Amino acid sequence: MIKEILKIFRNVRYILLSSGIALVVFALAVLIPNASLLAQIIPDLSISLVVKMNLVFSLFGAIQTNFTILSASYTIAIAVLFGINISLFVYYVRNQRTGVTKINGAAGIGGLVSGIFGIGCAACGTFILTWFLGLIGAASLVAFLPLGGEEFGILGVILLIVSIRMVTKKITDPQTCSV
Amino acid sequence: MEYSDFECPFCKRFHETMNQVMDEYGKDGEVAWVFRQFPLEQLHPVKAMAEAVASECAAEIGGNDAFWQFSDRLFELTLSNNRTDVATVIPKIVDEIGLDRGAFQECVNSGRYDDDINDDIENAFTTGGRGTPWSVVIGPDGTTYPLNGAQPYAAVKQIIDLALSKK
Repeated sequence: MIKEILKIFRNVRYILLSSGIALVVFALAVLIPNASLLAQIIPDLSISLVVKMNLVFSLFGAIQTNFTILSASYTIAIAVLFGINISLFVYYVRNQRTGVTKINGAAGIGGLVSGIFGIGCAACGTFILTWFLGLIGAASLVAFLPLGGEEFGILGVILLIVSIRMVTKKITDPQTCSV
Repeated sequence: MEYSDFECPFCKRFHETMNQVMDEYGKDGEVAWVFRQFPLEQLHPVKAMAEAVASECAAEIGGNDAFWQFSDRLFELTLSNNRTDVATVIPKIVDEIGLDRGAFQECVNSGRYDDDINDDIENAFTTGGRGTPWSVVIGPDGTTYPLNGAQPYAAVKQIIDLALSKK
């Protein structure tokens, strides 16, 4: 799997694509808890661009202060793996000229969605899973999870690795007509 | 205005950040720190509420300074995530800051702060809080800035400076 990934990443365009997607996913993960603050400040014309930029950059420091070591680790892992996953999908579609199987897509998207559920402060109920469970009136279920919901982040990493494994396997499989 | 839970490890971290804010902005009265209770019963059953009540009783008996001394010390000593031995830690702090133990116990047993704490919780939800620490920075012109989580000092400072610039 690693060999195939390294081969594809000899092309700098795939490195740029992966890095770009990883940065977007990471930024969303860290900034989502303060979406309402950003939605208030960014369109405000009375605030200078420098102040807006400084605020956004300073909020990235939350990866140290508002995450556990575990949640910070899987948040970064999910961002990087999702970037790699998308690049591999693009490579596969461009080179094989066939569609990606439904199961590959489901694992990749499932990994991202599961990872998103695990993002945030698991200990204090600010993470997205709690918000989602709150919507369906089941927020107290989090207390019964041994890692308080961080399981979803770990599951996200596993699903993304499975998805990458499946895509690299498809890339290396010879295209033949089976008997 | 901060909504906090004494058993939340991120509130513990953010408490240090807010002390840093008060060191820089509090002396000249530029910033006032309002502490509101937001014990998360579903995550930290019994203990978070007991600690919230205890801090209110510290304020009743010893005034504002006693409240802050009690809060600072409790955040120092708490193991967070409902692991604090409240039966040992709370009396220890009460003795350390020189509060009358009898009066303190009477206050805790009376349940007279339960409604106030529940009002704070309701207020946290009304203002948009869905977890702790949840803060609302209120500028001199009344503009409010919501701040979710234990954000770093640099981010809190940016928002305070922005709020103060809108006089």
